[in-house]
Parts: sequence; C-alpha cells; structure tokens
Amino acid sequence: MSEKAATSKSDIDDVDRAIIRLLRKNGRATNQELGNQLGLSAGTVSSRIRRMEKSNKLRVVAVSDFAAHDLNVLIPVMIEVSGRPVAEVAEELVAIPEVFAVHLVTGPSDIDALLALKDHEAVSELMLGKLSKIEGIRSITPAIAVEVVKYGFSVAPIEELGVMA
Amino acid sequence: MTKLSLDELDYRLIEAFGRNARISNGKIAKQLGTTEGTVRTRLKRMQNDGLIAFTAVTSLEQSQQNQMAFIRAKVEITRAHDIAGQIAELKGVEAVILTLATYNVLVVCLFDSVTNLHELVSNYIQKIPGVDNILTSIAVKTLKYNPKIGRLIAEDIGKI
Repeated sequence: MSEKAATSKSDIDDVDRAIIRLLRKNGRATNQELGNQLGLSAGTVSSRIRRMEKSNKLRVVAVSDFAAHDLNVLIPVMIEVSGRPVAEVAEELVAIPEVFAVHLVTGPSDIDALLALKDHEAVSELMLGKLSKIEGIRSITPAIAVEVVKYGFSVAPIEELGVMA
Repeated sequence: MTKLSLDELDYRLIEAFGRNARISNGKIAKQLGTTEGTVRTRLKRMQNDGLIAFTAVTSLEQSQQNQMAFIRAKVEITRAHDIAGQIAELKGVEAVILTLATYNVLVVCLFDSVTNLHELVSNYIQKIPGVDNILTSIAVKTLKYNPKIGRLIAEDIGKI
C-alpha cells in the first residue's frame, strides 16, 4: 500500500502495454519469461502486473469456451417491449439461466440478449416455456448463430471479473 | 462438436483460475484438495482441447472505448464468411457472429463517441462490397454478461 492508488488512464505506459500484449497471448507466462522478452527483470514485471491489478486496470484470468459449458447453440435475440417498463422485462430475462447476456439498448429494439443453450431441444423449452410467459414482450427476433467468427475477451467491466484470489 | 468430458474438478479449476490465472498450480491444488500434478494435467488437457485459455483482460471503465453497440448487417450470403472476417479485423470490433436471419452478420463493437461509431458503420462496414442494410443499437445498460466465457480462437490466445 506504499504507492498511492493509481487511477488515471495515463498511468499505463508503453512498458505496461507491452506486458499486457504478451499476457493476452499467454496469461501464464512466468515473470522471467516476460522479462526476457521485454528486456526487464522478473521483479519489474511482477510489480507492474501487481500495480495494474491493484488499480483495477488488469486481470489475468482463465477464460473458457462456450463448448466447455456445453453451450452449443447460440441465439442472439432482439426483443421489443410494450405495456411494461423495459427494465422489469429485462430483470426477468436476467433470472433465466439460458439467457447468457442482457443489454438495454436504444435502436430498433429495446433489449439485446444472447441465448446460450445445450441443443435445439432446449430452444423450444426456453422459447415456449419461459420467454413466452414473460409479460410485456411484444416480439422476439432471433438469429441462430451458424459461426462465431470472433467473440473476444480483451476488455470487460472489471467488477464482472470478480474479486481476485 | 466434441462430446464434453469435463467433471466437477475441471469446473472448479476453471473457476479458481478464473479469479487469477497467475496463481501457482500448487496453491490451487491445496485449496481444492488435490495434487499439483493433477492440476497440471487437467489444465493441459483442457487447453489442448481448446476449452480454456489464460489471458489478460483490461478494464472497460478505463478504456477509451467504453460504450458498446450492436450492429446487424444484411450481407450477400455467398460473401458472408469473408465479410465477417473483414469486419472482425476492424478496430473496436469485439465479436462477430454469422447467423441465419435476414440480418445475417451480428457485430458487437466498443466505441468512444457516436461520431466514431458512425464512422465505423458508414466508412468501413457499409463500404464493404456485399453489405446491404445495417441496423445499429447502442447499449445503454448491461444487466448480464460473463466476460470469461466466449469463443476461443487459437490465433488470438496462444497455447503454450
């Protein structure tokens, strides 16, 4: 706690960025390996990573594929709401485990969500058993994913990553 | 689609290293009541199967591009795959999904100002040959999202 909490964007310098770049490719590279590649000591690498973690700029984490969770069917949906506050409808969606992501949006619809399911059988259960029972949903425009070309991990709300062990 | 063979311990490892990937295998082994060798073997197998990876995630709040938009493009089916690949290379584009829908390419992007979002849509995506119509939604609030689950693509996150 000797360093004053660093919070502004400018606190990340080019050396930090180089460390982040290498960690993106391999989050388990040792401080020594990172140091060798960047011409730094292992101690410098270690203290820079710790500083960025402490100031909530960086987390180095294990990420997993949808397949690891047996989520083989992905369906982005646009949802229109009427006759009920959008936030209320969204809260009901959040509570459904198969609803992977929920965003309130402005644009052609009111809610953008991503459904992630085991198989196509689960789709009808979700659609007919759960989604159709939510009051206030006027329409759902689904799009079955045929290929995920990219679904990145590089940036995220830091609190969503949880407390560091 | 490969059949899953992950068990309880695998999921506990994903969770434990999901909090901090730089903790030693030995320490996690102790926490979970297993051996360092088991942890090492399990991680290796899941990595080789493309189910997990270890990577750096930076704070959205402290990023300059901290707003999110969903862009749906109606593109010529025969060119959809190539177009999706081109879009994936654009700055700020975090996700690209090809779908079976009228608007068959979904793009999730991060941006810093509406001007820049407009530029991405009008000057880049809209100009790709084969792209017809575009619908754009801007996220005003994210209520649910798991940044630790996505699609692992070998070139993005290297294996050891």
